[in-house]
Amino acid sequence: MTALRFGYGTNGLANHRLDEALEVVAGLGYSGVALTLDHAHLDPYAPDLPQRLAHTRRKLSALGLGVVVETGARYLLDPWHKHAPTLLDLDPARRAHRLDFLSRAVRIAAELEADAVSLWSGVLGPGTSHDQAWDLLADGCATLVEIAREAGVRLGFEPEPGMLVSDLAGYERLRHTLGDPETFGLTLDIGHCQCLEEETPAQCVRRAAPWLVSVQIEDMRRGVHDHLEFGEGDVDFPSVLEALSETGYQGIVGVELPRHSHSGPQTALRSLNALRAAATPPWTSKALDRLRSDPAAITSLFPVAARGGAPVPGDVTRAQLLQALPAREGELAVILTELYESGDAAERLAVLRALPLLDAAGHLGPHATPLIEDALRTNDARLVTAAVGPYAARHLGQSQWRQAVLKCVFLGVPLDAVAGLDRRSGPELTRMLAAFAAERTAAGRAVPDDVHERLDPPPAPDTLPAQA
Amino acid sequence: MRIFDPHIHMSSRTTDDYRAMHAAGVRAVVEPAFWLGQPRTSAASFRDYFDSLLGWEPYRAAQYRIQHFCALALNPKEANDPRCAPVLDDLPRYLLKDNVVAVGEIGFDSMTDTEEHAFTIQLALADAHGLPALVHTPHRDKAVGTSRTLELVRSSGIDPGRVLIDHLNEVTVPLVADSGCWMGFSIYPDTKMDPDRMVRILQEYGTSRMLVNSAADWGHSDPLRTAATASAMRTAGFTEEDVEQVLWHNPVAFYAQSGRLALEAEGAGARPSDAADFAGNSVRRGGS
Repeated sequence: MTALRFGYGTNGLANHRLDEALEVVAGLGYSGVALTLDHAHLDPYAPDLPQRLAHTRRKLSALGLGVVVETGARYLLDPWHKHAPTLLDLDPARRAHRLDFLSRAVRIAAELEADAVSLWSGVLGPGTSHDQAWDLLADGCATLVEIAREAGVRLGFEPEPGMLVSDLAGYERLRHTLGDPETFGLTLDIGHCQCLEEETPAQCVRRAAPWLVSVQIEDMRRGVHDHLEFGEGDVDFPSVLEALSETGYQGIVGVELPRHSHSGPQTALRSLNALRAAATPPWTSKALDRLRSDPAAITSLFPVAARGGAPVPGDVTRAQLLQALPAREGELAVILTELYESGDAAERLAVLRALPLLDAAGHLGPHATPLIEDALRTNDARLVTAAVGPYAARHLGQSQWRQAVLKCVFLGVPLDAVAGLDRRSGPELTRMLAAFAAERTAAGRAVPDDVHERLDPPPAPDTLPAQA
Repeated sequence: MRIFDPHIHMSSRTTDDYRAMHAAGVRAVVEPAFWLGQPRTSAASFRDYFDSLLGWEPYRAAQYRIQHFCALALNPKEANDPRCAPVLDDLPRYLLKDNVVAVGEIGFDSMTDTEEHAFTIQLALADAHGLPALVHTPHRDKAVGTSRTLELVRSSGIDPGRVLIDHLNEVTVPLVADSGCWMGFSIYPDTKMDPDRMVRILQEYGTSRMLVNSAADWGHSDPLRTAATASAMRTAGFTEEDVEQVLWHNPVAFYAQSGRLALEAEGAGARPSDAADFAGNSVRRGGS
């Protein structure tokens, strides 16, 4: 049994700046993202891509997010035709355009140390025969496999309803055609399985297990390719998650709701709760039942939750317990304070890390700000890092917040861990950082790179060409 | 070679000690709760102490890639002090914590009724929480204290295989050898035990259920006495397996009975999230 890592697709947060999308995803408690390269999110054709890549790599690392790279942007390559061109295009120049994009995605994935790059086949165009398209696809994939192999990146080929390769059998055939290269893995979308596979999604997971490098998940109805929020379709999620866990799947299980950006943060919150509920171990289920009838039991359940809920990470189990409390606002803050004050380091971290989640659910408001202040008084970089997340960005006073940022610099906590930094920065913080840098320089000591960059952005490192 | 120091008071030691300990092979320690060298004035003082053993000290240890666990208890010296005894009411909630791998130090100091009361209660707490017990034996009238300790362990009903009787020497080891309890020896620069005497005891009694610790604290003591004992064992002809049994496998086996001894894989040291190297590799100070 492995603990599953849930992620969220940035294509479901398309109206957010990438950094803020990542802060939302990490702040809620996801441990990964499926990053769709798109105009506004790490545009692979942007002239300053190398800087953006370096920045995103640091940001992901500071937020503790794993990543898979997704290549399903709708109008990135062609403003008139969705998902075009594809590897099936009869025009060699247009196929090359897709291939160039995919090979950029591979290099971006290598830079980000992503689990995989996902790709699909494309829709069979008018006037193209099935055999012809199949040959073009195999050809393109073979080229890409070589590029990916050299870059040390795994591909995740995704069967997509309505496209040339729409099901697992199609992937298996393509894989076989290519000579079963290790690099040519599978991205499995659980909703798609529900939509069109003969086997159940859980059976598909077991069948796909040896090749699985990325999983997308959402609800769906049989025969209707429509990505739905959890609970709106027919997928039996507990059996799917059990199959993933039992087969030892280590990658990201990423929510794929690309038509829900209008309600992104709340949809992400509901999705995370649904996934966690479907993967709840027996100890945690019993604990949650008990809390419903006896909320005071939280004081004895919270300290032992990491052991009880294993292999699910302690932070996750503890967040679930806190969400089950009926108390709200000030009353909830009283309980959180008691748990924090009587907690060991892991319990305190779990309380701090759950604050954005509780706040996003509308349970908390600013009442837990004193816990942030307490954590910022410590010298424990873990507590300080947990304290400067989205909850502090939203509720901490400006002067305290600036001191917190400076404290991060002193403790060596990367500034990328500070939520809302761009939004809340101002001349006073810049002055303080400049004074810090001057003091360091006067002492002959190094100024941390991230401070340097905020004061004086460096020239682009030459890691990727800006244009094809 | 890996060393597990099953009894050391790191809160009283410096970062230089941590560095030297890691260099000498120490990868894990248990810090049992005891007194401050001067009497506490209230039970509240224990709460800050316990919080430190569960928060700051493991974090400090992790900077030096040493895993830090703790044993919590009302210690024998302060069991006599009515200002401190109320901490017994706080202990149950502390004993739930993940990093608590034993109840300790408990036992006798002056062999009073109050000490016996606290000892009995805490043996029962250990049993109730599925934790082993680390038992201090008194410095004064040690043999009598050790015998009385064993009587209490027997009558408490706790499995003697879950009890470590500590600070033993040539006189007291025969009393414990057949009890089923584990035997602990504190190797000191001058007092208690020294490496060569320890080797003679190991030659006579074997390496089974034997634990060696430095019991280093704020007094004249040396956190590297465990490593010195390993050297003395080798010089005396013990095999590398014998050395590793006494200095690693035995303490691991004893504390693993808690079900909470989450040791990182060999070579991994402490959790990367705790030990992540920040500028300068020193304990982060927040003002340097």
